[in-house]
Amino acid sequence: MREDNRSGEIEETAVLRCTYSVCPICLRRIEARHVRRKGGVFLEKECPEHGAFSVPFWRDRIDLADWIKDAEPIREGENLNCPHACGLCPDHRRDTCCVVLEVTGRCNLDCSFCFAGKDGLSEPSFDRLRESLQQLIRPGATLVQLSGGEPTLRDDLPELVAEAKKAGCKYVQLNSNGIRLAEDRQFVKTLADAGLSFVFMQFDGIRDGTYEKLRRRPLLGIKKQAIVNCGECGLGVVLVPTLVPRVNIDEIGDIIRFGVALSPFVRGVHFQPVSYFGRIPRLPGDEDRFTLDELIWQIGEQAGDLVRPENLGPSCCDHPLCGFHGDFIVLGPGKLLPLSKRDGHTVQDSPCSDPADRSREFVARRWQRGEEKLSGNPLNSRQDDIQDMDSFLERLKVHGFTVTAMPFQDAGNLDLERLRSCSLHVFAEGKMIPLCARYLTAWRGK
Amino acid sequence: MEESRKLICSRCQVEMTPAKAYFSYLDHSFHTDLLRCPRCGQVFIPEELVKGKMQEVEMALEDK
Repeated sequence: MREDNRSGEIEETAVLRCTYSVCPICLRRIEARHVRRKGGVFLEKECPEHGAFSVPFWRDRIDLADWIKDAEPIREGENLNCPHACGLCPDHRRDTCCVVLEVTGRCNLDCSFCFAGKDGLSEPSFDRLRESLQQLIRPGATLVQLSGGEPTLRDDLPELVAEAKKAGCKYVQLNSNGIRLAEDRQFVKTLADAGLSFVFMQFDGIRDGTYEKLRRRPLLGIKKQAIVNCGECGLGVVLVPTLVPRVNIDEIGDIIRFGVALSPFVRGVHFQPVSYFGRIPRLPGDEDRFTLDELIWQIGEQAGDLVRPENLGPSCCDHPLCGFHGDFIVLGPGKLLPLSKRDGHTVQDSPCSDPADRSREFVARRWQRGEEKLSGNPLNSRQDDIQDMDSFLERLKVHGFTVTAMPFQDAGNLDLERLRSCSLHVFAEGKMIPLCARYLTAWRGK
Repeated sequence: MEESRKLICSRCQVEMTPAKAYFSYLDHSFHTDLLRCPRCGQVFIPEELVKGKMQEVEMALEDK
């Protein structure tokens, strides 16, 4: 297909796929297409009232068709109520892998980017949260993420963790900026004693300047102290960087290196390319998007000695465009043994297990500290015979390390084909809602 | 493996002896000590190993 581009030149384009999205201004459900043009693959759509929109989601660093493989396109007449009647309708294709429970709207930071936003005041009562926990938990299976706001602002957070465990929750994850975890070691110990499984900690880079840009204050020292406090209390930490073009893309390799050097305290890095929902500094242009394939390419460029792109594959629990995972064992401060490879054996080959159940068990096993949990030395680089079956299993439990990513969707790039395969759900209003539907916010102007 | 356990190779009728055995799975190779026939090389893999550590290794490599 040939068409006029914005500067009036004739440009070759090709429609790769048809799907559905929303108008970013009025959020009505509209048709959309994956279109390859100069610069990559774009989600293109047109609202009868607010005009045309185009957002890049792939920049052809990896073959898109090879990455998506046989993911089924959304067809006419399917998922008709998506995303506005979200609450896991019969058309939704994934069970819950992890469930987010917002325990407070308060926060002790004022970030430039925050998908959850903050209202500064609201905080559900302990009794209401207990009731929610009882509703959402499937005994022996659930992984709940206590989120916010900043959950550690609740003094009764350890009691909530204990309540979740009492209700049969298998894994309890804390999503935190780490400030209180750094400043209040006793609080960390109390959380660990209450049964907290691991911590997802906002960690945007290894430069204070990065935190000043994204979080409006220098935080590197605080992050390091939080990791030490969690580690010494037996809690695994997963570093969660929000990746923003022109801010911290060049820190990707250093973040991985930093995490590997702190194994077994640090269990992995979970990258989140920036999405434009909740609180954002301005509406994004094409140059403000950092796509999944660019991330994989950058990992290879910046940390190829540790993680090779071919060791990162699409998540089988969600749509292939919603993330990747890589599984490793730390052999020493600068050496990883890859266990995963793209196109290797995947969960889809295992007809007997539900992808959400299996993915949950995988991440929880890796992110929870292994049996050596209180032995102390985070830089343990003892060289075992890794081919010995016992040494392999022992080292995997103690020094397992994951490199994962999840690019959330916003009103600009929301693809309902992706949304209907979402396994990360928020529990709100008594129902499970896919995260990107729950936090979907309309853009106020084009 | 029980030290006192004696096994005779069904093929060669000689006592099997402890030896390092190698396995490979999904491009990774591992070894562990097993009873092996010194004559024909046949190894005995106990059920507890198959349902225990070997399964754990398989799961680790198949995860996700």
